[in-house]
Amino acid sequence: MEGKGALVSRRIIEAKGLTKSFGGLTAVRNVDFHLEEGEIIGLIGPNGAGKTTLFNLVSGVLRYDEGTLLFNGVSLASLKSFEICRLGIGRTFQIVRPFLKMTCLENILVGMIGRQNKKDSQKEKKEEAKGYLKFVGLESREAILANDLTLIEKKRLEMARALATQPRVLLLDEVLAGLNPSEILQALELIEVIRTRFKMTIFWIEHVMGAIMKASDRIIVLDQGEKIKEGKPEEIANDSKVIEAYLGESDA
Amino acid sequence: MANFKKFWIPILFIILAIFPPFFLSQYWLHVMIISLFYVMMASSWNLIAGFTGQVSFAHAAFSGVGAYVSGMLAVNLGLSPWLGILIGSAVAALLGLGLGYLCIRMGGIYLSLTTLGFSEILRIIITNEDKWTRGTMGLQVPGFFAEYSKVSNYFLFLIVAILFLIIIYRIIHSEMGLSFRAVLNDELAASSSGINTVRVRVLAFTISSAMAGMAGGLYGHYLMLITPDIPSLGQMFLVLAMAVIGGMGSFVGPIVGSFALEILSEYIRIYGEYHVLLFGLVALGVARFAPEGMMGILNRRWRGRGLS
Repeated sequence: MEGKGALVSRRIIEAKGLTKSFGGLTAVRNVDFHLEEGEIIGLIGPNGAGKTTLFNLVSGVLRYDEGTLLFNGVSLASLKSFEICRLGIGRTFQIVRPFLKMTCLENILVGMIGRQNKKDSQKEKKEEAKGYLKFVGLESREAILANDLTLIEKKRLEMARALATQPRVLLLDEVLAGLNPSEILQALELIEVIRTRFKMTIFWIEHVMGAIMKASDRIIVLDQGEKIKEGKPEEIANDSKVIEAYLGESDA
Repeated sequence: MANFKKFWIPILFIILAIFPPFFLSQYWLHVMIISLFYVMMASSWNLIAGFTGQVSFAHAAFSGVGAYVSGMLAVNLGLSPWLGILIGSAVAALLGLGLGYLCIRMGGIYLSLTTLGFSEILRIIITNEDKWTRGTMGLQVPGFFAEYSKVSNYFLFLIVAILFLIIIYRIIHSEMGLSFRAVLNDELAASSSGINTVRVRVLAFTISSAMAGMAGGLYGHYLMLITPDIPSLGQMFLVLAMAVIGGMGSFVGPIVGSFALEILSEYIRIYGEYHVLLFGLVALGVARFAPEGMMGILNRRWRGRGLS
């Protein structure tokens, strides 16, 4: 917070005591966290730590059992995922879910349907949609079915679709997985541009440690559903609890 | 070129459609009228099944609702069939809305089974409440025109079918159609992209049920006899076969399928009711080997030629 001068940081998302169980298994247990406007926050943790479940709670795909979750002071408890999206939380999926039997352009146009500021003419809509495709480097794929894209292109398409909903907060679930080093660099640049150009808050799950450490302002670590650590990347990297969670203790 | 395809081809077909009454025999004119009825049925079923992925088996049942509501109003209250089919269509829409809501959480086979159940319940009620519906004897109802004329009925069916097709075309090429297809592709992703999936599904159900109700009413008053065959599963599977063989999820597919199968069934009628069995088998084969139907195969041919 230091060094920001007159800019007062604002909590755009605030969660307290967030809990979600599936039967006997508690996937997210009593998690507190907040996102500040314009931040890039990383969410890490070993497999099964509850990262994607937490995303599903924030985006309304799942309902939380206990706790509070506020977006700009509005409770998300009773909202459906399309309402949460319209409020301003966009997301991508760990296993990509573009609309496979629709063209890339149509994929983007779907993202634009629920928005408040609607463009009137069909032409303007298409122009704007093309802009999003261009932004993620898919301008030449416009008329191609999403099904015919490579995995990386599908990921980009999904990101563009999320951007087209004009979110204030963007949840990215493992967008770097399966990319080669140079593609990772491109993707990181894209994320940085999204923050600066669209003034979005980015909350992302990532297993590529180097990348998430480099690009995040703050990192939250989950393990077995609980938040075990939160802090700047360098604090996280040297924390014994985090290292233990990743590498595991000897089985006692 | 795009304009030519969008505007002049439909106009050409409409102009061609004006002439059949002047040279077709009464028998073939009847076949044309029935084909137009199936165009309405298969195209409106395609709207829910082909565009939102809700494979409903209640479509024939909704046409039965339209037919019986309009028929009973005409017989008991002397209401004009013109007004009757509007009321019948509205009742079908209302029931469609209810069934659509009931099926919100269901997909695939569960939705199909629920709508199948609804369809059978309705058929049993109609068959047994013979005080009102005359059961299997059928309800004798007045026609649309004071003087019975196949030509007038042909034009009535033609106009309503064109009207339906215009509405369906506009829906599938609008934002609504885009959200229909998004729901069909991936409901969770659609919802996470800001699409109100519940509204989309129920809306599709309501619109297509209203169309089925109207089509059923027209059919009943044209034949002047309304029987439980209208809301029967046999009828349902015929409509399904037409849409599937023609090409589900395409605008033209169900139209082509309806004419092709209705005309074909006239030729093989001499072999009895086996034509439904045959169509069922063909539909199965198409669904397995060419899921996009006849239109899919034709489109691929055209595209293939374009490339070479």
